Amino acid sequence: MSDRKARLTITVDPHLTAYAEHLVETGKASSVSAVFNDAMEARIQRERRQRRLWKEAAERADPAKVARMMAHVDAQAAALPKR
Amino acid sequence: MSEDSGATAPPYIVDLSVAVAVARFDASVMTLIQGYEARGQSLVLPVLALTGASLDVRTEDADDLLEGLERLENAEVASLRDAEQAVRLAAVIATTGLDPWDAHVAAVADAAVCPILTLDAPKWRQHSGDLDEPLHIIEIADPDEPAG
Repeated sequence: MSDRKARLTITVDPHLTAYAEHLVETGKASSVSAVFNDAMEARIQRERRQRRLWKEAAERADPAKVARMMAHVDAQAAALPKR
Repeated sequence: MSEDSGATAPPYIVDLSVAVAVARFDASVMTLIQGYEARGQSLVLPVLALTGASLDVRTEDADDLLEGLERLENAEVASLRDAEQAVRLAAVIATTGLDPWDAHVAAVADAAVCPILTLDAPKWRQHSGDLDEPLHIIEIADPDEPAG
């Protein structure tokens, strides 16, 4: 992946365009492109945080207990009427 | 394509109790779900069950956990798509007396003919005969722990 910025053509909802332009006009962002970059960066960080939380759960869980729970679920699933 | 049994495991419909467990960072339930993700077991997340869980645990972490649930490869959110589904949900609420969060789970399970994955089997047993077809229930529990 190159560090060079890429030109991207996207279609944006009117209210989001208006908000991005408002941020630029009021000096809260340097450009509409910067608004898009910030929004994507925030999304990346949020998804990383979500993945980290799920990973932490797996590290904290008792594997033996989870295995028993899974076997219990599997036994019930196997007993269900076939679709 | 496999030619053995031809049968595939039906998706599990995640109910409010499971969504709440995720929102409360229940490591066992979350790891169980990740185990099913690794196996390719499909999960359906009725959107109102996620709403109910988010209402139960009002923190940013809880919402992140619920959004993380949706991001699993084999999980799919069941939304309320149109007026027909909205009216169908209202009928399930009226018939069962369930809260909207649970009724959406019941409506999705009933329409898809898929089992409900729950930590609260007694509640579902009480309502399993309320609809035209019986609801099928799969309880998450540790058989080595006393029922509480």
